[in-house]
Amino acid sequence: MAAEVEVTVVTMRDIFQDEAGRKSRFSDEYRDQSALIILDKQDMATLGAKDGQSLQVKNDVGSVVVAAKTSEDNPHQGLAFMYNSPWSNQLVSDAVSDSSIPGFKSIKATISAAEENVTQISEIQARIKG
Amino acid sequence: MVGAMEIYMLLPKTNCKECGLPTCMAFAVGLLGREKKIDECTPLIEEKKYEAKLKKLRELMAPLENASETGLIIHPEKCFGCGNCVVACPVNVAAEPTRCGVGLGPQSEKVILKVEDGVVVCGNLEECRRFGPNKTLCNACTATCPSKAIEFV
Amino acid sequence: MAICTGCSLLCEDIEAAEKDGALSHVKNLCRKGHGHFQAAYTERTVPMIDGEQVDLDRAIAKAAEILKSAKSPLLYGWSNSTLEAQAVGIKLAEKLGATIDDTSSFCQGILMERILSGKLPTCTLDDVRNYADTSIFWGSDPSSSHPRHLSRFSYYPRGDKRQKSYEEERTCIAVDVRKSATANLCPNYYFQVAPGGDAQFMEAILAVLEGKIPKVGDKKKMIGLGSILKKTEWGVIFAGLGMVYSLQEKMDLFERLVAKLNEITTFKVVPMVGHYNMRGFNELLLEKTGFINRVSFKDGKPAHGPEHSVVASAKTCDAALVIGSDPFSALPFGTARALAKVPLIAIDPRRSLTTDGAKVVIPSALSGMEAGGTGVRMDGVKIKFEPIIKSDLPTDEQILTRIMEAI
Repeated sequence: MAAEVEVTVVTMRDIFQDEAGRKSRFSDEYRDQSALIILDKQDMATLGAKDGQSLQVKNDVGSVVVAAKTSEDNPHQGLAFMYNSPWSNQLVSDAVSDSSIPGFKSIKATISAAEENVTQISEIQARIKG
Repeated sequence: MVGAMEIYMLLPKTNCKECGLPTCMAFAVGLLGREKKIDECTPLIEEKKYEAKLKKLRELMAPLENASETGLIIHPEKCFGCGNCVVACPVNVAAEPTRCGVGLGPQSEKVILKVEDGVVVCGNLEECRRFGPNKTLCNACTATCPSKAIEFV
Repeated sequence: MAICTGCSLLCEDIEAAEKDGALSHVKNLCRKGHGHFQAAYTERTVPMIDGEQVDLDRAIAKAAEILKSAKSPLLYGWSNSTLEAQAVGIKLAEKLGATIDDTSSFCQGILMERILSGKLPTCTLDDVRNYADTSIFWGSDPSSSHPRHLSRFSYYPRGDKRQKSYEEERTCIAVDVRKSATANLCPNYYFQVAPGGDAQFMEAILAVLEGKIPKVGDKKKMIGLGSILKKTEWGVIFAGLGMVYSLQEKMDLFERLVAKLNEITTFKVVPMVGHYNMRGFNELLLEKTGFINRVSFKDGKPAHGPEHSVVASAKTCDAALVIGSDPFSALPFGTARALAKVPLIAIDPRRSLTTDGAKVVIPSALSGMEAGGTGVRMDGVKIKFEPIIKSDLPTDEQILTRIMEAI
């Protein structure tokens, strides 16, 4: 049984990822800057993951393959960070509470090692088109 | 950042005094402070047995090549263009109290730091308080940088 | 001087001039603003219907046709358009009996409501620069989202009553789930909260302000925070998405905290709005209908409610107009999928996931660069701007007016 980690994903802003997104949503640069998940060192170890390795992030809403990145922050096991992007939004539910605000900063997901490469933007576009 | 010990380990360690300084350690310190140049260590340059060490030393010192007299280095690829350094720099503020002093971009050429094309650029470094006979350990620009894009050697 | 429409700071000291079809040696734009300006030169849209390029007149005619024949059209976006364009948009929604919503709906809406209604005391950014001795960034990382915030207003510049500024007279505090770039600038005043833990943190502050023992881990640090707050002469809380998303239905608690702080001293709240003119739309719609977002004109009289939010309407509308926004990238997968099922008209200067999935694409001039108009800064200050780049593209205002005429 492959190693799995349960996390809460919180989305955040990054000035370099924002810059890449302003230039183009379709570039390799935007994908490289956006399709990643920042994990606590311990969680990385549990997964046996290295920086840049493909990880599958999955929940009831969907699943996406992104690159692993080790966090430089104080330990935060069980908490993972992604930049707000089409990749993170594959995991955000549109079922909303009274305030009708989606849970952008409280996404529950399971992470495991992935065989495939990082999900391409064209794949996300195809999924949206249905 | 590079330390004197790191540099010393790549020198001949013979204290031959050909560079004009009494010891190799003194030369290492001199290199770091940019008072000496690598090429002043004749044995290191001329003797084949030091070829590997010379190469490594040049690589080690390369980032400092770009440092100014004051030891200021800017890494534009890390810079947010936030202007914190522009507004914190005491020379900037003194030169443009109604602009840099209150958060606006400078208009004169007298300032040390300004943001151009999205990132910080420096000039007039002879005006920097870390330079010259009355130098102080001013660190306004480095202490206010959110991304370590600006640092001192 | 140009004005940057890259975020809601609307910086006015930008020196940018086009030379030989390019911008170079542009002064004072932060990295984000610089990216925003340079984006004018790449991936521009052209008029399209069903993926084929057409002339502008046909695209506009098709857009009008789709909206006219729709029974429940949705008009969404708005936060990257000028006040002048937004005003036409609201009129269009009324004429169509459509639902109109903007990005505040899933962003700063519940905070903005309270600020515009007076439930939360607010101020201008210039007031902050002149008077604030304590700036609290709550669930907000301005270094990354509004890069010049600290240098222009909230921490580093000198002000009338704060001549010694950050060195002696200002304190910057960061409350966040992670040690952000902003938190790294004030590491001794960084307070970490767990996701969803902001309510508990607010209760703890209230306890300390009332002289009680706070129910948190680091009691000493909390009591220290209480001292700073009590000694503050003029404080400001910059509330970001981190706080808003965490509190959601519990915004009343934040009102209680701010009220308590104002019993002791002066404390204001400024919303950390993202897009350059989200507040403009909220203020306009409020004036016109009594609501800041999520309005339906279906029954003539404006109705407001969560069912009229873009997230809910995406599933019930039969046509959508998306202006200056990219919901396919920025909204939950389900919402993007729902919007992809209906005929979608995208008005946008640049290609996005949404324009790629639109039935009709109408290219527009970039406001702030190619089109002039008025924007409202995050603090409510109106800023008028003129274009600095010549363009033959129609402005949002012109496009919407033409659509309205054709209906």
